[in-house]
Amino acid sequence: MKQGFRDALRVLEDAGELRRIKKAVDPRHFSALAAQAKEATFFEAIEGYPSWRAAGALVSTRKRLALAMGCSEADIARRFEDGIRRPVDARLVSDGPCQEVVWQGDAVDLTAIPLPLMHVKDGGPYISATMVVSKDPEYGRNVGSYRLMYRTPRETGIDLVSSSDMRRYYQRALDAGRPLEIAVAVGVHPYEMLAASYKAPIDVDEYAIAGGLHGAPVDLVRCRTVDLEVPADAELVLEGELLPIGWTADEGPFGEFSHITGDVKWNPIFRVKCITHRRDPIFYMLQMPWENDWLAAPVIEAAGLQALRIASVEPVAIRAPVGGCCYWTLIASIRKRPGEGKNALLALLSVAEVKLAIVTDDDINIYDPDELDWAMTFRIQADHDVLIIPGARGKHIDPSVRAWSLGKGGLPTTAKLGIDATIPEGVPREQYERLRYFAKDAVRLEDYL
Amino acid sequence: MSPLAERLVADLRARPRHFAELVEAHTGVAWRDFLRAWGEVRGLEALGRDEQGRYVIAAPAG
Ligand SMILES: Cc1cc2nc3c(=O)[nH]c(=O)nc-3n(C[C@H](O)[C@H](O)[C@H](O)COP(=O)(O)O)c2cc1C
Repeated sequence: MKQGFRDALRVLEDAGELRRIKKAVDPRHFSALAAQAKEATFFEAIEGYPSWRAAGALVSTRKRLALAMGCSEADIARRFEDGIRRPVDARLVSDGPCQEVVWQGDAVDLTAIPLPLMHVKDGGPYISATMVVSKDPEYGRNVGSYRLMYRTPRETGIDLVSSSDMRRYYQRALDAGRPLEIAVAVGVHPYEMLAASYKAPIDVDEYAIAGGLHGAPVDLVRCRTVDLEVPADAELVLEGELLPIGWTADEGPFGEFSHITGDVKWNPIFRVKCITHRRDPIFYMLQMPWENDWLAAPVIEAAGLQALRIASVEPVAIRAPVGGCCYWTLIASIRKRPGEGKNALLALLSVAEVKLAIVTDDDINIYDPDELDWAMTFRIQADHDVLIIPGARGKHIDPSVRAWSLGKGGLPTTAKLGIDATIPEGVPREQYERLRYFAKDAVRLEDYL
Repeated sequence: MSPLAERLVADLRARPRHFAELVEAHTGVAWRDFLRAWGEVRGLEALGRDEQGRYVIAAPAG
């Protein structure tokens, strides 16, 4: 059976990776407290919101993401690839816990939800853990994750600035002079969040991707006021429409997944018509930037593996480090034939906005920073093993691309850097023979203590 | 407009502020009451943003 949000919490708790906080907490303090905990946090009582509980920072580390995905830390990309290769269609069911309580008409009130205030420069409280579903008459259903900024008891902002399928749906609705209906599920399993954040081709249903990751169909219920379907086991659902006002309402700043405060953006407004939730709802506060970063990691690593295979290079391991926000940097070890260090770099640097790629041989454990430094020290000659590719596509939120100087609508470019830390051609492998301790296997420290 | 919303408007007329600065200026207020009052302020035509992302309300003319 498919797992839900509460199963993910249980898996974390069983592994000692969930901290329960019993004392009542004000939602203004969720994020600051979650930032101090080593584990994911579960707020058992919330000041002013007696029927709610909240959880945050579920997948703030590679370890916790791997736990939620039921695999080893090294295997998150392969696990993700398996899921997207075998999509499982979603299943419509007649009812689900996400609709145990329904607020409609005058009862719609976002202030009745414990909305967290996260960062000092945010434009307001944010709902960060969203699975947003919409439909287009031609392309069908789409699911993505989009942050929502509280504006009024019935309105939020939404960040639709970057290109995405939902932006396209909204533009088409706007051109036709009509609103775009959306439904927002909050409090779903990390697999659903991964599927939502995955840039699937426009005609692919992300619910089927989530089903592939679960190995079981996602049960969906019909929304009460819009022609859309949401995961039946979600904790909370907001139904409504994006007003046909274009990119005219202020939204942000928000603490971005780049670990930097973003700018005020101009965006549409989401008007909420109906709120449904479980009888004993748990609000999911996705902790920025870590959870957003780690949700990107399997996607970008899987894209890196695919790019290497297309380039006929055999990957052994791949890692999108959190220092690169699991997005801008890829490190891979390969089983190398002559020249393939460079082929691998070209392949990895072609992935999305990756701007730093490092390639090593398969004897280097790329999860160990000291081993990586060692390879970068002794396998690199900078005049031979460093590639710089100028003028590639960049991303606005990287300050070094100086997007502010481009004017409205200007698209930034970036230079890409590749470092080939594989054993150079012509240097025998024996030159790298590591020192070994005499009699290492013959004696044991315990016997002398 | 509620008294709290009026106080928030007065805060913003005095000088531009980030949302969190407004929250810090009224920590004794229950979060839900604050959000309701903020909802009222958001409805004002005069509410704007400055370059740093702070909220601003221009002082009334004259
Ligand atoms: C937690 C989280 C929050 C995100 N927030 C946004 C956002 O506010 N705006 C945006 O354009 N993309 C955001 N993304 C990235 C999109 O979800 C991602 O590009 C997705 O593929 C878009 O789906 P779509 O193209 O099918 O609509 C977010 C991703 C995650 C994991």
